[in-house]
Amino acid sequence: MLWESSVLLQLALSGLLAGALYALLACGLNLVFGVMGVINLAHGELMIAGAFLSWLAYRYIDLHPLVVLPLVMGLLYGFGVLLQRWLIERLTGRDELTSLLVTYGLSILLMNLGLLLFSADFRSVPVLQGGFYLSSLDLVISKPRAVAGAISLALTLGIFGFLRYHRMGKAIRAVSEQPEVAMICGIDVAKVRQMTFGIAAAMAGAAGVLLSILYSFSPETGGEFLLKCFAVLVIGGMGNFLGALLGGLLLGLVEAFVGGFFNVQWAEAVAYLLLVLVLLLRPGGLLGQRHAVF
Amino acid sequence: MSAPPLLHLQQLDASYGPIQVLFSVQLEVQPGEIVALIGPNGAGKSTVIKSIIGLVRVLRGQIRLAGREITGMATHHAPLHGIGYVPQGRILFARMTVRENLEMGAFLQQDPRERRRLVEEVLDQFPQLAARAQVLAGHLSGGEQQMLAIGRSLMMRPKLLMLDEPSLGLSPKYVDQIFAQLLVLRDQGHTLLMVEQNAARALEIADRGYVLELGRNRFADRASALLENEAVRRLYLGGV
Ligand SMILES: Nc1ncnc2c1ncn2[C@@H]1O[C@H](COP(=O)(O)OP(=O)(O)OP(=O)(O)O)[C@@H](O)[C@H]1O
Ligand SMILES: [Mg+2]
Repeated sequence: MLWESSVLLQLALSGLLAGALYALLACGLNLVFGVMGVINLAHGELMIAGAFLSWLAYRYIDLHPLVVLPLVMGLLYGFGVLLQRWLIERLTGRDELTSLLVTYGLSILLMNLGLLLFSADFRSVPVLQGGFYLSSLDLVISKPRAVAGAISLALTLGIFGFLRYHRMGKAIRAVSEQPEVAMICGIDVAKVRQMTFGIAAAMAGAAGVLLSILYSFSPETGGEFLLKCFAVLVIGGMGNFLGALLGGLLLGLVEAFVGGFFNVQWAEAVAYLLLVLVLLLRPGGLLGQRHAVF
Repeated sequence: MSAPPLLHLQQLDASYGPIQVLFSVQLEVQPGEIVALIGPNGAGKSTVIKSIIGLVRVLRGQIRLAGREITGMATHHAPLHGIGYVPQGRILFARMTVRENLEMGAFLQQDPRERRRLVEEVLDQFPQLAARAQVLAGHLSGGEQQMLAIGRSLMMRPKLLMLDEPSLGLSPKYVDQIFAQLLVLRDQGHTLLMVEQNAARALEIADRGYVLELGRNRFADRASALLENEAVRRLYLGGV
């Protein structure tokens, strides 16, 4: 029964949809690393900020998370720009330990702020009940999962397209490669870095809103997701945007199958197994770092 | 009164952190000239160019562009002032295509159609690049990379083009090509300030030259005069 094709298809589809959320989160983290050389340990808390904004809007003004989504992204974009201007910009050119310490501090600060404001209770935003029945394939996909997965994927691909084709996206890539040469081309590098951090924060915020309709969360949930993001980055190749996208999808897929065939505890650990496997077989990540990074 | 020089450095002191590297450097570039800046390794040639473009801190002195003071300008304003710069080591955006590198050279041009037109213009001027427009810059040969670095610096039609060691590390065929290209640029009305290891070659195409040593002016003259100057020949041209 487990080997029936409809079951496999079900697992694959829901795995990919769950993986899209990892991809959205990991791609933002990777973008900041690629451009600023900073590993933002507070990225998970930025996501949780998005989740709580979604929860607040739902609870107090009865707004649907999908309506709140663009607002949260705008808010977090602004917050990201300010963070970069006031804090992260000072870290560029410093050693990695300094930037790790500072973003770790920021992470702790934001998490405790969350605990103070919302306590450690788990919340969720119960919208979109039930599932979509795909009659042609004879399977059911839960609505929140389908919506969150599709939006995650669309956003991630959208940012990818932006980096690839838009003038400012290209400027971000230029700054990530050669900041001094980017400057002589007329690019205001500090502004571009602010924009980059803003985009990453907006992606994290969006991931948070989508998380809020999928799972229950508390201020401490960010850390777990960040760890998985690291696994995704290493699996896909540090600094490699497409790598993080594929790594996220892969992780979702593998988790779904392990959860389906074994149990959920195993699924939780599989990210790290995958990580070790990739490190042993392809230390540069699946796509490596040398190929087109964005 | 004659018009002010296009570029005028007066008593320029510059440093990397606490270490002073330039001492009272003087330099002038007239419109339409090729000026060669030569000197031994570590003399401070690159530093002169970097301080003009705002990549190195100027301690004292003035930099004037067409009479207007630009000392300590923000580097990203260089294209607005009409300054193009080809850094030492032909640094490109290696993971971007040839076309994208050129587009970055015209970053300040907001209109995409106009930007595309500028790219086509430069590609017309460098047919070798045109054939490889979709190739990643990192995959070009050394000579092609230098062409691309020059092409990128031309995108905003600079009044003053500064080149740092354009022939460094290139095969003789490409060295010839680059020097020929520089003459073409001069004939098109560009003004060039060029740093070169290959001092004899640079002075051959230059109108005037400056010799820098230990961060100080050592000689300054018409290029032909420097080529014949005994001391310059002995010290810097490897001749007798
Ligand atoms: N980023 C830097 N930090 C500290 N000192 C530097 C830096 N760059 C150059 N210097 C020092 O400044 C002096 C001048 O260097 P500069 O690069 O201007 O010389 P150059 O004439 O261009 O030499 P080369 O022919 O090797 O390119 C040298 O003593 C060099 O060691
Ligand atoms: Mg030099």
